[in-house]
Amino acid sequence: MAKEILDKIRDTRPGFADAQAGTAETLRNQARQGCFKNAHRTFQQGIQCVQLNSVNTLYSIQDSVMIIHAPYGCSACASRGIINLDVKKHHIGDTSDISSHLMSTALGEKEVILGGEKRLEDTARQAIDRYHPKILFIVSSCASAIIGDDIDAVAERLQAEFPEQVFVPVHCEGFKSRNHATGYDLALSAIHNYIIKDAKPEKKKGLINLFATHSLSMKDQEEMKRLLKLIGLEVRILPYFATYEELLEIPAAEYNVSVCQIFGDEYMEFLHQKYGTPYTVSCMPIGIKSTDFWLRSIAKLCGKEKEAEEVIAKERAAVQEEIAVIRKKTEGLTACITAGTGRGLAAATIIEDYGIKLLCIHTPYYEESYVDAFERLEEHHGSEYIINVADMQPFEQINLLKKLKPDLFIGMANWASRLGIPTTHILDGKRPTFGYRGVLYLGRKLEDALDNNNFNRKLKDYTELPFRDEWYDEDAFKYIEFPEV
Amino acid sequence: MKKCTERPRNLCSLNGAISVAANIYKCIPILHASPGCSNQASQGTHMYYLGGYHGLVSTNAYEREVVFGGSKRLQETIQGSLEVMKGELFTVITGCSMGINGDDIDSVIREFEDSPYPIIGIDTAGFKGDTYFGYQATLLAIVKTLARKTKTDPRRVNVYGQVPHTDETLRGDIEELDRIFARIGVKLNTFFIKTDGIEQLKNSGNAALNINLSPWMNRNLDSYYEHQFGIPTLHYPGLPIGPTAVEDLLRQVAEALDLDRDLVESVIQDEKQYVYHYFDSMMGTFERLRYILVGESNTVLGYARYLTNDAGHIPLAVIITDSVSDKFKPDIEAEIHKLECDRKADVYYEDDVYLIEQIVGKYKDRATALIGGSYDKVIAKHLNLFFVLATYPCFEKQTLNRSHIGIRGCLTLTEDLYNHY
Repeated sequence: MAKEILDKIRDTRPGFADAQAGTAETLRNQARQGCFKNAHRTFQQGIQCVQLNSVNTLYSIQDSVMIIHAPYGCSACASRGIINLDVKKHHIGDTSDISSHLMSTALGEKEVILGGEKRLEDTARQAIDRYHPKILFIVSSCASAIIGDDIDAVAERLQAEFPEQVFVPVHCEGFKSRNHATGYDLALSAIHNYIIKDAKPEKKKGLINLFATHSLSMKDQEEMKRLLKLIGLEVRILPYFATYEELLEIPAAEYNVSVCQIFGDEYMEFLHQKYGTPYTVSCMPIGIKSTDFWLRSIAKLCGKEKEAEEVIAKERAAVQEEIAVIRKKTEGLTACITAGTGRGLAAATIIEDYGIKLLCIHTPYYEESYVDAFERLEEHHGSEYIINVADMQPFEQINLLKKLKPDLFIGMANWASRLGIPTTHILDGKRPTFGYRGVLYLGRKLEDALDNNNFNRKLKDYTELPFRDEWYDEDAFKYIEFPEV
Repeated sequence: MKKCTERPRNLCSLNGAISVAANIYKCIPILHASPGCSNQASQGTHMYYLGGYHGLVSTNAYEREVVFGGSKRLQETIQGSLEVMKGELFTVITGCSMGINGDDIDSVIREFEDSPYPIIGIDTAGFKGDTYFGYQATLLAIVKTLARKTKTDPRRVNVYGQVPHTDETLRGDIEELDRIFARIGVKLNTFFIKTDGIEQLKNSGNAALNINLSPWMNRNLDSYYEHQFGIPTLHYPGLPIGPTAVEDLLRQVAEALDLDRDLVESVIQDEKQYVYHYFDSMMGTFERLRYILVGESNTVLGYARYLTNDAGHIPLAVIITDSVSDKFKPDIEAEIHKLECDRKADVYYEDDVYLIEQIVGKYKDRATALIGGSYDKVIAKHLNLFFVLATYPCFEKQTLNRSHIGIRGCLTLTEDLYNHY
């Protein structure tokens, strides 16, 4: 069967980089002049991979079993995530049983030498025997891809034997792409290629698909739905906990929208080409400006501009007073941010609402299509803030924090808290961070971090960072080999 | 691995390797692996000094390294690690992709011969084995590199046999063992977490005795210490929990080291009195549980002894989740049958969450308590069993200095048995 969407990696998008650094202005100029190139980090710390994002996108889909064709290790995060993150509870507020099923083919040395296809088939049979699922996802790994196990052929054989089920192979081995958001694309294409295929369902009036990542809490989903309802729109959030039937209806939507620059954009473009569905890729509605932008772009798409302006004015007015109170405390302070692409950009707009100035942002990727978003930040933060294109890399983060001495750090605080500076995060699994109400909640978090920093302040004298003292005298970007420009 | 597994607790050999390397203070693990391994294979391994998986060093090998080899990436990564990371010991541990492509890791490491710190290469590609394989291979390689004998210290004992991170109360347990043994004048090398871990590994060749707490692991380490330094090993299969077990272990160690009998007996009596002082205060709260235990062999043996021999509960079944080799299964079953209770528990070996639930289901209505890890919560709820979250993996609780072993730890475990929320 011919695939509707061919596997594509994000590394080939114009101006892609996973290693770069410079001021906002420098990177913007290079990107605008078309001479922006990726660099190379000769020393790196741990980062995540494509497979994990594919797995995260798919494993909650209802009535499915996910088979991870790999040694045990590749099922670690998802196996634990099912329980630990309690994704189901936080996504759909359901506290009943676990409904996600995940099996490891447990590849060992024998399978790596002799091939693991038989083990994969056995696993699929076991899965069917246990749960009779409608969908079986088959996810590749570094090991299975290098030894050349043909998961497509196995899926085809199984499909012939089990016509009631749908087998969905996903080629998402960890070394495949430097942009791990490729894992999202591969997962969404696999849904289309094997579940939707060439279906042409009739358009359903009023159906809007909203594609969203797994890191979105239930509270944030509710807030988005509430805002959109106020302008007369109902959305279906996909693909988390989607049913088989809901997936089949993806092409029937009147519009497609998203909530992150790197989730679903490629797929929405495909849906536009194939089904003519209009779409918009905007941003995460965190912070006043980002929420305005997000709501306006969806409203424009769906012809609800007038309603949106009314809602924006009303919602903004409702939170203005408390923002002004918090702002008295935060005005003029400085901050550094480390976060994923969408959330990092959003965090930079929220600190803007509180009059805080951005000194440095660690963002995992940069590409030409993000230049506008970073440029919008320059309006408030100036052009001198540093963009470090890095997936975490705490060694660079701490080096920069020591030099920049911000009043506040926003992001995963495992390392920064050891410096004694106030830290907080905008990722929150339980409370709303989206929309205008989220601005207040996050503002209170900023306020709290500043008002009581005793934990970090006292910790700093009794802790040690795992970096040599000499490292802090070096240029933070010493291990980046920059290309000739 | 013998069969497919639904939501395995056991992970790959890289997981075992990270557990060892990242829990030795100031040991820096360098992953020669594709991106993602640092995240997946480090799940639950603590890594307190490094601060989390982003703190691990990794070559993050992409397609280019998979196709053309990753030696150059490894070379520059080791160079950077030595310059940036505040470490005193460096271990290069491999993931699947770099294990398959055949990089000559040893020859890359040889380029750093003049490094002031030891750099050890260990082949831990994920498919080579599981967590337990990686743990054993890595600990052996590190001991082989570091351990030296200058002069035997008749009061120093090496303790091993437990994968660091799969002991859910690791830090408290080390503190409790140290405390008890200090009372009889014995210093322990426990290697992990403590700030002098590397020193402990170095002088482990000077120990007078090893205590191997695993009923099946680290046999290679036993024989290395024996052949290299003439150190004998005392096998005490399972974590020592509760007054009976502690008494038993202390007597065996006293005999092996020829310690002052009077001192050891007085410590034993004192420790027992401490426990029974608390037990005595539980009058009226005591409730006899018919329990099923799910966990690793070390934990299961330790818990079962305490719960049965001291705390007076009824063992119905034990489900052992670590990959015990067939050779050692009869020994484990013999230990379970030695429990001081007329009824003998059934023993199972399983790591597949679905099959574990099937086994537990067989005891519907007969069992009253399930002691297990986070994965076992669901079936406990279904069968309306009192659930105690006390074996690997535990997600929902923050564990700092609490212990589940020894004397004080058995009291904490008892609290956990009775605190229904």
